[in-house]
Amino acid sequence: MAASPSEPLNPLIHTQARLRIMTTLTALPEGDRLAFGRLQALLDATPGNLSTHLRKLENAGYVAVTKGHLGRVPTTHIEATRAGRRAFEDYTEQLRALLTPPTGVAGPTKEKP
Amino acid sequence: MVPYPGEPDDANDGAPLDPAQSAALIAEQRARWAAATGVDARLLFGVWGGACLLGFGAEYSVATDPPLLGWPGWVAGVVFAGLLATAMVINIVHIAVRTAGVRGVSANAGAMYGWAWFGSFAGIGALSFGLARAGASPDVTKLVMTTAPLLIVGALNMAGAAIWQDRTQFALGAWILIVTTIGAIVGAPHMLAVLSLAGGGGLLVGALADAIRVRRAVAWASDAPGRAAV
Repeated sequence: MAASPSEPLNPLIHTQARLRIMTTLTALPEGDRLAFGRLQALLDATPGNLSTHLRKLENAGYVAVTKGHLGRVPTTHIEATRAGRRAFEDYTEQLRALLTPPTGVAGPTKEKP
Repeated sequence: MVPYPGEPDDANDGAPLDPAQSAALIAEQRARWAAATGVDARLLFGVWGGACLLGFGAEYSVATDPPLLGWPGWVAGVVFAGLLATAMVINIVHIAVRTAGVRGVSANAGAMYGWAWFGSFAGIGALSFGLARAGASPDVTKLVMTTAPLLIVGALNMAGAAIWQDRTQFALGAWILIVTTIGAIVGAPHMLAVLSLAGGGGLLVGALADAIRVRRAVAWASDAPGRAAV
């Protein structure tokens, strides 16, 4: 889907928590998974809150959750799916369009004296 | 039409964001990710540079005739081994902490890469045994045992750079390889001075250059919040 400033930003990503989750998971190279605990530490999230958001992203097909065992300890690893990476890319592209004035002048934060 | 799957709703979502806040949040989280997981070239160059400068310097101080310093040769050897072992431990711990919790394609590549280090250094140990049994003179043993491990360090760093597409690591490996090649031509005892000053000193210059680069990048990003994000 092409990004357009007139469309609403993807509500699945456009929240503090899920935006930070997707930013973190898409920072990994494709095919790499991150342990739940490490993700939690990188986000300062509570396990319950993080699980809730991950379930929502998983239902949308944006993240994949892999459960396994390390010895007897259960482990959970999360990765951004191809669809998730695509959605995040569209989201940032749309943001860029929203933040760039249509006149084409350099970014909104730079002002010439 | 429902443009997006799932049902974004509830109280967990928090306050609504505007685009500028979103961009700032992305930049902040990316910076956090980079700080927590990126390999710190300043640290690795600094640690290896210091260990090479002082370690090979200590070896050189007792290798010339007459020696530059009056301390016993075995003390210089212990200083050298201690410094290089410390650098290796710091290197391994740093990489392990930064990559903790990551699994998958790149983690597998990292494991294979780790085995390449382990295997080649085990081979170096066997080489020293083989040299002694073949009746190599102390001079030959010293030349081979000084240059061979460094050639592996240089080559493996260049290979690692190819895996992770990291120019910094390529520069590190290439520099070690070049300096060791020059050292091998120069030969004992002055190759130790080359390794100390050009090898160790060069890595410290690399650490300094990276520290300046990081400082500039931070200044650039904080100059206009959100600029780096999108």
